[in-house]
Amino acid sequence: MSLTKRIDDLSSRRGVRNGWFGFITIFFLSFIILPTVYVLIYGLADFQNLSDAVLGEPEVMSMIWGAVFTSFSLALLVTIIDLVIGLPMAWIMVRKDFRGKRLLDTLIDMPLAFPTAALGFSIGIFWGLPVDAPVPPGALGIVAEPYILIMLLHIIFTYPYMVRSLSAILEQIDQSYEEAGMTLGASRLTAARTITLPLFRAGLITGFILCFARSLSETGGTFIALITVGKADVFFTGPTLIAWLKQPDVGVADVEAVLAVVSIILIITAIVFLLIIKYVLGRVSVPFDKVWPRWERVLSRGTFPKAKDLLSFVFLFTIVIIPSFFIFAYLLVPAPGDMDWSGLVDALSYSFMVAGIVTAADIVLGVPLALYIARHRDKKLAQVVDSLVNVPLIVPTTALGFSLALFWTTQDLVTNLTVLVIFAHIAFTYPLVVRNVAGAVMEVDPSYEEAARTLGAKPFGTFRTVLLPIIRASVLAGAILAFTRSLGETGATVAVSAEANTMPVYIVNLINSGDFYLASIAAMVLIIVSFIFMLALRYLVRRDGGGY
Amino acid sequence: MPHISLDEVTMRFGDIYAVKDIDLVIRDGEYLTILGPSGCGKTSLIKIICGLWTPTEGRVSIDGVDVTDVPIEDRHVGYVFQNIALFPHMKVLKNVSFGPRMQGRTVEEGREIAEKSLRLVNMLERLEMFPRELSGGEQQKVSIARALASGARLMLLDEPLSALDARVRMDLRYEIRRLVKDLGITVVHVTHDQDEAMSVSDRIVVMRNGGIVETDTPMRLYRRPNNLFTAYFIGETNLMEGMVSGKDDRNLLVRLRDGTDVKVGGNRHFQVNDGVILSVRPEYVYTAKEGLHSTVLQVIYLGSYWRVVTRSNSADIVEYNIPKHREPPAIGDKVSLVFNRKMSMVYKRPREGTSEAIRLE
Repeated sequence: MSLTKRIDDLSSRRGVRNGWFGFITIFFLSFIILPTVYVLIYGLADFQNLSDAVLGEPEVMSMIWGAVFTSFSLALLVTIIDLVIGLPMAWIMVRKDFRGKRLLDTLIDMPLAFPTAALGFSIGIFWGLPVDAPVPPGALGIVAEPYILIMLLHIIFTYPYMVRSLSAILEQIDQSYEEAGMTLGASRLTAARTITLPLFRAGLITGFILCFARSLSETGGTFIALITVGKADVFFTGPTLIAWLKQPDVGVADVEAVLAVVSIILIITAIVFLLIIKYVLGRVSVPFDKVWPRWERVLSRGTFPKAKDLLSFVFLFTIVIIPSFFIFAYLLVPAPGDMDWSGLVDALSYSFMVAGIVTAADIVLGVPLALYIARHRDKKLAQVVDSLVNVPLIVPTTALGFSLALFWTTQDLVTNLTVLVIFAHIAFTYPLVVRNVAGAVMEVDPSYEEAARTLGAKPFGTFRTVLLPIIRASVLAGAILAFTRSLGETGATVAVSAEANTMPVYIVNLINSGDFYLASIAAMVLIIVSFIFMLALRYLVRRDGGGY
Repeated sequence: MPHISLDEVTMRFGDIYAVKDIDLVIRDGEYLTILGPSGCGKTSLIKIICGLWTPTEGRVSIDGVDVTDVPIEDRHVGYVFQNIALFPHMKVLKNVSFGPRMQGRTVEEGREIAEKSLRLVNMLERLEMFPRELSGGEQQKVSIARALASGARLMLLDEPLSALDARVRMDLRYEIRRLVKDLGITVVHVTHDQDEAMSVSDRIVVMRNGGIVETDTPMRLYRRPNNLFTAYFIGETNLMEGMVSGKDDRNLLVRLRDGTDVKVGGNRHFQVNDGVILSVRPEYVYTAKEGLHSTVLQVIYLGSYWRVVTRSNSADIVEYNIPKHREPPAIGDKVSLVFNRKMSMVYKRPREGTSEAIRLE
């Protein structure tokens, strides 16, 4: 009897099926969720010690609260800017047809393909004032204030999320509502504002949460940009504070306790704040009952709409595209004489190994959980698991990394550094695979599987021959997302240990030692690898969309 | 050869009953249709028969063997889906040979069986096409061939025609009946379309609110429905409220709301002063010198006849037919209407009110 046949027969038994889903759920809870929030339990158990070492130290506490406050104010500011400038762009992408639209579409997604480590470096040398290092010609060097610099950086990698979530909803809103409004005498602006915009709420919430959470938890790019301009030891966001404390010789007493407190505060505030956002945005309606027909009519015609569109493009290029690509200007700088490539090769192959193992684990253990969530939506447990899946996406990755390392090392369960890094990367990439695949499975009409069952296929046979081929593209897309995310992640890795030699950590170390040229080469390699993967992803998604 | 019996089958989701206490026997080789408005539980019933759902209570048996706990894949029941559900990533051949392959046959045997059953539905030349390259009607024929190829002797058709265009729907329903009758297959067909049910079935089960209203041949259900809901749901009928005003050993006298007395055959179990509903189909309403005084509201040309819509003095709406070669009345004309004594049906006036008793959803 062949193996698949044997699994087919086993899958026919209800007990086996329940046991398998039970195993996957237990894996999810004990390997992903528990380690992610373990630091909270640790904090409760060891409260006395933490409060002696940290809570009683006003200087340390003010540093922590300052960093957390900076994170939140940055996230809010960045999200609002994204909303204001992303809305016209989403409108252009959905409602307008023009030559080069496909190219623009790719350009908007570009920052997603750039590992944030590379982005942070590029932004640092373009806008900022790097210390004692040669920068390529064309660098502006006009932003001395680190807050503004980090804001410019965060806008770049959150902007695509906002445009994407808004245009996804806009695409679903029937244009005839707006047209009906216009036949009833509303000008274009009035119709868009009073009819289409209120229907937007779902897109606004998704966009808001995605941008906010991303900005809140980003570590690598932020940290690298700060190092580049030499401000990493004076200006902190919550996550970079953890990354900085993990560096050797920072001169803070009782580092572990401080790290635990920062992580706890970050995890709790992030979860609470996002719950509040979800609650508030879901209930507050857009207070736009008033209309100003005459003014809105004037604004709907002539040069105003054109100016709005033009500004959207100008913003896209000057704030998002050019600063991102600026790193390639290093190709114009003559290479310094003796170059040591071995470090780069080592780091790259280490990153590939980690990302490869992580992706394989995500697929094998993530697809079953996605199936469970998508096909048991009426069950309580599946609903709970469904919302828990988002937790590692919300928790800042540095806090996640710290918490996870604490969990596995406390009882000496895992001491191998590489294994720890892999576990940490699985924790924050796993949700990407589960979300992607679960979404795809929900789209598939259950009657395909039912038809296969009535024709005599066993449950596992049905999955193998019918469901899997249909959702294959989404599984691959999830795999690519997980792979590139793992490749570009700095925060979680640094928080596990500053000695794990992944590509982003290697870049951090190069910039720290002032070797900007080699750092730029490493960043470019990372960008190109990620970019190739993203092209593959776009190809898959597009083909899938045009398929069945 | 399969015959199926359902024994007090109930399917409950929380407090909501999808079907409740269903007893039903489907005979060997029968073409049985389950007819009812949407949400009446008809699809639930066939999902229970094929094993996609396990009933909360009650037993299902096929050929006298209790199959309530037998998994779907071992029941060998063909299921044809409303949305067709041909596997989108497989060509027609692979789709149709899926069943035989799952039963452990070789690729060649699978192909042979698939060809044989595709030939039955005249789809053999579509072998190498993907489902999306076929028209809706062709897709549904292939999906029937797929169910046949699995060797099923019992076929469940879940609104198989409702996704198709009107013309295709008409042709395909006779084609399906001819095919299954030739092969001697037992069929349970679910539909909300009463025309479809009337034209293909040996027997019809009328369902409503998760229960069976009545079961009979199409002809008896049309001519002598036992239930007010059936009278209203199958075919067209005029419903008038009234009261029994007299009876003898052969007839019942029903007084309508405007005071007109109507003589109805049979129905001797009613008592004088019982509240009743009189049901008469339009083709059994005639004009006469004396009868129910009504005013013509509307005259509609329907090709083979005229349909006249009238309103009585007590606001009962009554419709009747006039042969196409006769001159129809003009709107506003006064007419007197009489009803065929034998084809008039009388029902007890429902406690919940007439409109509630015939409500579809």
